Amino acid sequence: MAAASILVLVGCAPDAAPGGDDATDHLVIAWPASREPASLDGHIEPYQTAWLIDYMIADPLLIIGPDGGFHPALATGWSSNAVADQWTFTLRSDVVFQDGTPFDAEAVRYNVERILDPATRSGEMAAHVGPVEHVEIVDDTTVTLHYDAPWVTVLDAFRRVPIWSPVAAERWGIEAFDRHLVGAGPFLLEEWVPNDRVTVRRWDGYGGWNSIADEPGPARVERVTIRFIGEEAVLGNVVRTGNAHVAMNLPTTYIDDYRGAEGFSLVTGYQAGTGLQMVMNTRRPPFSDLRVRQALLHGTDQHAINDLLYDGNYLTSDGPLNTVHRCYWEGSADHYPHDPETARRLLEAAGYTDRDGDGIREAHGVTGVEDGTPLRVRWTILDREEMGEAVQAQWRPLGIDLVIEIVPGPVQLERVNARDFDLIYERQRSPDPLLMDMLWNSAHDVVGGWAWTGFVDAELDGIVSQLRVIADPDARCELAREAQRIIMDNALMLPTLSEPIFYAVSDEVRGFQLASEGQFYFLHNVELVRE
Amino acid sequence: MLATYLTRRLAQLGVVLLLVSVVVFAIMHALPGDPVQLMLSGAESGSVTPERQEQLREEMGLNDPLPVQYGRFLRGAVTGDLGTSVRLRQPVLDLILDRLGPTLALSLGGILFAVLIGVTTGVLAALRQGSWIDGLSRVLAYVGVSLPLFWLGLLLILVFSFQLSWFPPAGSEGVRSLVLPSLSLGLVSAGVIARLTRASLREVLVEDYIRTARAKGLPRRFVYLRHALRNALLPVVTMLGLQFGAMLAGAVVTETVFSRPGLGRLVVSAILWKDYPLVQGIVLCMAAMYVLVNLLVDLLAAWLDPRVRNEAPA
Repeated sequence: MAAASILVLVGCAPDAAPGGDDATDHLVIAWPASREPASLDGHIEPYQTAWLIDYMIADPLLIIGPDGGFHPALATGWSSNAVADQWTFTLRSDVVFQDGTPFDAEAVRYNVERILDPATRSGEMAAHVGPVEHVEIVDDTTVTLHYDAPWVTVLDAFRRVPIWSPVAAERWGIEAFDRHLVGAGPFLLEEWVPNDRVTVRRWDGYGGWNSIADEPGPARVERVTIRFIGEEAVLGNVVRTGNAHVAMNLPTTYIDDYRGAEGFSLVTGYQAGTGLQMVMNTRRPPFSDLRVRQALLHGTDQHAINDLLYDGNYLTSDGPLNTVHRCYWEGSADHYPHDPETARRLLEAAGYTDRDGDGIREAHGVTGVEDGTPLRVRWTILDREEMGEAVQAQWRPLGIDLVIEIVPGPVQLERVNARDFDLIYERQRSPDPLLMDMLWNSAHDVVGGWAWTGFVDAELDGIVSQLRVIADPDARCELAREAQRIIMDNALMLPTLSEPIFYAVSDEVRGFQLASEGQFYFLHNVELVRE
Repeated sequence: MLATYLTRRLAQLGVVLLLVSVVVFAIMHALPGDPVQLMLSGAESGSVTPERQEQLREEMGLNDPLPVQYGRFLRGAVTGDLGTSVRLRQPVLDLILDRLGPTLALSLGGILFAVLIGVTTGVLAALRQGSWIDGLSRVLAYVGVSLPLFWLGLLLILVFSFQLSWFPPAGSEGVRSLVLPSLSLGLVSAGVIARLTRASLREVLVEDYIRTARAKGLPRRFVYLRHALRNALLPVVTMLGLQFGAMLAGAVVTETVFSRPGLGRLVVSAILWKDYPLVQGIVLCMAAMYVLVNLLVDLLAAWLDPRVRNEAPA
């Protein structure tokens, strides 16, 4: 009764639209709260979602477009010398920042130096930008980066770097600038209420400088709010119930609510990188034996897992790079066909047989393992228990006892640091094949490094090292494919699935464009149409 | 006398906070995980080298011996400087002050609903024992105690946001966004308060002074409100202090379900990211709030009941 009175007092009129009563030009996008960045300043924050917000506020020098190619934004062109240790950008001459200060070569220099300044404590972006020896200002619209060594991934780095106004960045300092971001993008940062929302509003001074823009001039929507949703069930319903126009990372259980539904569309984005792979610890039994590793790959049916758990909505993964990566090696597809009989034969050959008849194989004559030890394998992962259970069910008839360990991030990292795992989850995203070097070069098999299997092979190390110095995209892909072949020959990881990014989009939204990477989208051409 | 009592309670607060700080510091450092690695675990393509990670660790003071780190924290805390969040890179005190408002609003809203629903139902149940309202108060108590908070929150969202569109399902803009989360928190406590109010009022209603008041010809409403309810509410007020603590704990779930900012979500994320200074600061703040609210409750009880007032400072 009392509660009912309060409800009446505070007013219970239904919302007219996701953005409030006068929301014709107010786009509301719902994100899972777990994707909220710790800082909105992409120079500092290592998460892609910060860069995604930055895309609204600051155009970078170049972008990756929907076709997967690099396209101009604040830079009109770029080139490098033959060894790729000097990179020159030609800049637009008609750009000003949102605070009215000019965008020029000096601004680019400031941004590069800010990222590399130890005081910025930029972890990831500094690593992407690389060892810049100095930045040369050739003239107001030309800037050359001089590197200590060849740096072949400059374009991939600078499509991520938001170019901030030097005056604003200096004014607010490292700690406070992420709440007062000033760039040369289509929207002004209005407010960031952590754990709740980010709101940006149209900048009328925007000239449509990013080549993704359909026409010169400001964006079409007046205001955009990104709302961070803490509960999956709410995220899955907010578009259907009219509380948001777009839901990013729509949970798979809600896909059917939007697919083919009147008034909505389901947009699927794929992000290049690894799949949800489980890397194997080859330092100790049972995975020190190639035959056991190969048996697991033969014994796993990714298609069945995808159909069983996700109604076939995920991509199956069959190698170290997922099938949407431009450097994917097609040989992965049939390298280890699902073949339980072959898996059993390999396990027998490796010394694992079930002599006590309990359905689980034991080691007999296996070096370093006491006879009679059951073939028990730990599956260490952050979440997705269901996937582990599906694999568990597939391996049980093979005589393998899979123990699923769902651990929080800190525990996973402890396990990695101590190299105390059998199969452990590792996933990385990037359209550039350089990630193959980070994940598979044994030189990175150190605490804090990302090469975890313990596998050492001079040929593999040599091939992936080349990815740091060879600039030609086709040659890089050839190297990455060769590396994938070696990794698959040695069965160093178990591919499972690749997770797409699903978006529920209201039909009121027009012009919503995904970049070639599923996680990035552009709002430059978006408009809201109220039917 | 009251001043002595207050001084003693505030001194106890200092001891409690010191103990809490030691325990939290010890637990946080005993847990597995490295804040720098965690902070960079989302880095794309594993591009941050171990050398750079070590450099970041050094810059953040995480390589110092634990006693040095604790001493630094304690020195700062005494002067009001709770340090800087490792992950969010902002002063911990600023972050706490920023999130304190929404959490307090939520907890107070929850208390408001708990009192309105619980006391009203409890009084009606006591006055109409065995009636449908008495049955309702019993059901309310069972439901409040047994329903998981997140489920109750989702149910409210489903009905009042998605079906009726009366309230937003998420966010913290305006009073309307506070209603459903407060209601979900309040309903959990309302059942307990209803049963306590009922039992307490039943006891009071058979006291001699109530019979005397009625015999004097005082109006029934006056007797119930002025004489019976005031005394019956004493245990309820004490219970509210405990419920406030429960609401601070419940805020973690409620803030997540309703996507609201607040200390609950902040501390969960700080624990997951091993953000030592932030966890320590928030736990200290929550402990202080809990102790202060209970002190306030004791003072309120003393105001309501002179017997308590006279006993308190002893």
